[in-house]
Amino acid sequence: MTSPTDTTLAPPDAAAESSSPEDAQSPSGPAQPFGLGSSPLRTDALPKALGIYPFAADLWAEGLLWGAVLRSPHPHARIVAIDTAAALAIPGVHAVVTAADLPAGPQSADGSAEEARGPVGDRPVLAAGVVRHHGEPVAAVAADHPDTARLAAASIVVEYEVLDALTDPEQAFHAPPLHPDGNLFRHLPLRSGDPEVVGEVIVEGLYQVGRQDPAPIGAEAGLAVPRPDGGVELHLSSTDPHGDRERTAACLGLEPDRVRLVVTGVPGATADREDLSFQVTLALLALRTGRPVKMTLTREESFQSHATRHPALLRYRHHADAQGKLLKVEAQILLDGGAYADVSAEALAAATAFSVGPYVCPNVFVDAWAVRTNNPPAGRMRGEGALQTCFAYESQLDQLAARIGVEPLEIRRRNVLATGDAMPTGQAVTCPAPVAALLDAVATSPLPALPMDEPDTDWLLPGGPGGAGDPSAVRRGIGYAVGMVHMLGAEGEDEVSTATVRVSGDHATVICAAVDSGQGFATLARQIVQSVLGVAEVYVAPVDSDQSIAGPSARGRHTWVSGGAVERAALMVRHQLLQPIAANFGMSVELLSIADGKITSYDGVLGMPVTEALEGKELWATAQCRPHPTEPLDEAGQGDAFVSIAFCAMRAVVDVDIELGAVRVVDVTVAQDVGRALNPGQIEDRIEAGVAQGVGLALLEDLRTSGGLLVNPSLTGYRLPTALDTPDVRIAALLEERDVVATFGAKAVSAVPAVVAPAAIAAAVRAATGLPVGRLPIQPEDAVVA
Amino acid sequence: MLPTSLDEAVEALAASPAAVPVAGGTDLMEAVNAGRLRPAALIGLGRITELRGWRYEDGGTAVLGAGLTLARMDRPDFAALIPALADAARTAGPPQTRNVGTLGGNIATAAPAGDTLPVLAALEASVTLARPGVTREVPVSHLLTGLDPMRPGELLTWVRVPLLNAPQVFLKATGRSGPSRATASVALVLDPARRAVRCAVGAVAPVPLRPLEAEAWVAGCIDWDARGEEGVPAIDPAAAAAFGEYVASACVPDGYGGDAASGLPAEGPTAEALRLRRTVAVLARRALGRALK
Ligand SMILES: Cc1cc2nc3c(=O)[nH]c(=O)nc-3n(C[C@H](O)[C@H](O)[C@H](O)COP(=O)(O)OP(=O)(O)OC[C@H]3O[C@@H](n4cnc5c(N)ncnc54)[C@H](O)[C@@H]3O)c2cc1C
Repeated sequence: MTSPTDTTLAPPDAAAESSSPEDAQSPSGPAQPFGLGSSPLRTDALPKALGIYPFAADLWAEGLLWGAVLRSPHPHARIVAIDTAAALAIPGVHAVVTAADLPAGPQSADGSAEEARGPVGDRPVLAAGVVRHHGEPVAAVAADHPDTARLAAASIVVEYEVLDALTDPEQAFHAPPLHPDGNLFRHLPLRSGDPEVVGEVIVEGLYQVGRQDPAPIGAEAGLAVPRPDGGVELHLSSTDPHGDRERTAACLGLEPDRVRLVVTGVPGATADREDLSFQVTLALLALRTGRPVKMTLTREESFQSHATRHPALLRYRHHADAQGKLLKVEAQILLDGGAYADVSAEALAAATAFSVGPYVCPNVFVDAWAVRTNNPPAGRMRGEGALQTCFAYESQLDQLAARIGVEPLEIRRRNVLATGDAMPTGQAVTCPAPVAALLDAVATSPLPALPMDEPDTDWLLPGGPGGAGDPSAVRRGIGYAVGMVHMLGAEGEDEVSTATVRVSGDHATVICAAVDSGQGFATLARQIVQSVLGVAEVYVAPVDSDQSIAGPSARGRHTWVSGGAVERAALMVRHQLLQPIAANFGMSVELLSIADGKITSYDGVLGMPVTEALEGKELWATAQCRPHPTEPLDEAGQGDAFVSIAFCAMRAVVDVDIELGAVRVVDVTVAQDVGRALNPGQIEDRIEAGVAQGVGLALLEDLRTSGGLLVNPSLTGYRLPTALDTPDVRIAALLEERDVVATFGAKAVSAVPAVVAPAAIAAAVRAATGLPVGRLPIQPEDAVVA
Repeated sequence: MLPTSLDEAVEALAASPAAVPVAGGTDLMEAVNAGRLRPAALIGLGRITELRGWRYEDGGTAVLGAGLTLARMDRPDFAALIPALADAARTAGPPQTRNVGTLGGNIATAAPAGDTLPVLAALEASVTLARPGVTREVPVSHLLTGLDPMRPGELLTWVRVPLLNAPQVFLKATGRSGPSRATASVALVLDPARRAVRCAVGAVAPVPLRPLEAEAWVAGCIDWDARGEEGVPAIDPAAAAAFGEYVASACVPDGYGGDAASGLPAEGPTAEALRLRRTVAVLARRALGRALK
């Protein structure tokens, strides 16, 4: 039973009626928090904390072989020849594969010919003819021991003709093409209003954003098992099981149903997990050898292989009147997409559409480019595109405030966007846009105390405990930022998810291929079914690609699309359950409610346990959710490209040692537009996570390259924020203005804090030092007051 | 191999020269995991209890076991004895590694950013190296500079540190609040008996550097008699600042971070040299200020 084209959603409160959070507190109710609006613990929280939760790296199969990959030591080179003889001669080696072994054809490894476009985009599974970034996979080995596999991979002789590496994205326009598709992934111009307008006040800035890596704590790992029908089963921490299945099958020349993806626990995903090359290579090795093959990447390989955030260069000019009201924004945005296209075009759309931020400006002129270089490929990472511009436009607003002589908060208040206002893309913001209220909430929240009353030896100074900090050189700064990010796929992408709900006995089961990548979808699905069906015991089935499609775990879309599908399926089951009873008693279904496993009528006459109503039957329903469609941005950057937008305001308080340039983020206070808080505990966790990642980008994280070679691909060199680097995060407000078209009226919560935090921290450092702070991460020398 | 006594360990190492000693393993296992090192055999030093403590020797010297953990050195009793070494141990990585990482391992690894090294250099400490039946005493600075390196089959057993009974400070710049390697560090110890200041700068060169001239100069600027008296500055703030600059220019060459391969004579200090000098100068000035407080 599906309703594939149904785009109307149940009223947001339909679910809440049947089980409000108060019910959960009733004495007869279950001890665990229950239903929407409560904050139950994730079911995997304890096993993960105890270290007993199985991840892909823990998988095992009888008779398995180990895979290893040979990667390019050059950022750009022609492959003249590959000699695998020495590797094959090593005892214990079962297979060595190169691009020539891929059945899909176009990637010929004869060394001379450029490869054509592969079956999935511009990125080959294994390099054919040319390598375009440091660490690009060239060949792979399966052997009976992991050391043998690595040794064999190292014994493959590749003759390279090293080519000049294109590492400066500004050179990409004129440099010879690195790929048959050219060096320009996308140029997106945005023209809105009158180009001739000139403001009384003009501020200009050049902003730079470094290369943040998702640096998942669990490195890439997976197990491939050949199937008797010639297909292959892949056990991976995929966040897009159907997409990965399609792509893997296409690269292997198999029918999609011959490839099955089984999703294992996801050890951290703030970006896509397990790139295409990894999974296709793994599958290929299993098909070649007829044996299960397991592969786990080293930390260095992990840094080399997964996509990073787009480094960006942004040039801005803001025109305003004497009061600071924005008249015109001009911007040039350049994203370094690295060697392959990935989602650069999508990131660019967000960067362009949100280039002004949550402000109203009548005239906007933007040119944005995403280009190909020989740097590491960039891809999806929380708030891709939106984050980079947020840093730039918020820095511009700080500059404008300083120029006009008003407080940074005031300049923002004079320009904020509200519901109904138009974005520079011409799209009216129809969802709630409580930007002013968010600003007010952080502005009125009490500031963290100064540590005046404690002895100065107890102060936690920039530089950390036992560090070199000196109280007399420490300045405190307070900075504000607001930002926005879209939810769901944009520019006409088909958004859809499917879910099945089953009730039998005293429990319910949810089957939905939406991967819980850590964002908490499994918990949410449980809460939805609890609320709709009044059943406490809800089991969320593990995900595999034989289930119906739910789409990727990205942009927090599952809250909406998969949450919507689960709700609808649960409502259908509810109807099936109540219909006969209602008919029996001659009343309409609406007069019955379910709570605590019991069906009751409005007048209290009827009280029947759900198990009794089921009469031993199982009830099933499957439903889909498909939000309203969007359209691509046109050649002037105009169009209704986004479904809905989330907003967030932050106030960061930092201490800066102005002699050493060390920065400590003391406190980040957050007000976020959440539509409806479906699980407040989880929302706070997601906000803390976003702030932590924002602190990383603002102060620490930068995957550096030198001539295209990775400089710091290790967790010693790539500095992730620790508990000491991460501030107290306080929630000033979770504004619950329902988004009427969204499932439950809720907005996705994970991306927008990560988008805003770097800008807020930069603003605070600016306030503490009086310096411009034009790049992220902020280097110590950027915060030294000479 | 898990010897339980020092003699046993020394014998074991002599018997199998290809074996590698391992103490906390925090440096060694990282190299093994990264595939840089494939030891034929390991000799675990963790069970040698005599190396995990310290004792006193006549003439005001503390003899520290190579197996002393960084965490143990951070405890108050040790910190009262050799404060700068305790400071260094406290900031040398996260608690998990400090709980097992050892003084001996830190010295043997001799990383440029090894935090105990500038302190040992400033203290003019020495180490005992043992082979079956033979021990020799080598100044830490000679060991680190390669003047008198550790020989194959030798075990580092003891570290001799003079007890100065005076303020000493270790300061480290990292650019972050969480545990991290030093971008620059300064150890500074006062030796009031000799009216001397000794200072070493870490992490800016392969080995800790001693700015001897700056040390001698600043010793002359200090009012040694006023030291410790309430309200009397032991040094003019301008002299303290000048000391910082002096140390920085002595330890960071003009060409720091520059393109040595180009072979061109650098025109004045590189931007990187200027930045690092500023950091070292601030650290040295603050270290002196704290020592004289
Ligand atoms: C996450 C992390 C952060 C770190 N941060 C810092 C930091 O901030 N500052 C810092 O200084 N260090 C840091 N370290 C490095 C390390 O913890 C220290 O160098 C530690 O002191 C090493 O001691 P160990 O006992 O673990 O040495 P091991 O790893 O056991 O040994 C290191 C080397 O010394 C040799 N060796 C050990 N003991 C002896 C002996 N008695 N005689 C002869 N040879 C010996 C071993 O053969 C080996 O070659 C960090 C390490 C990690 C993993």
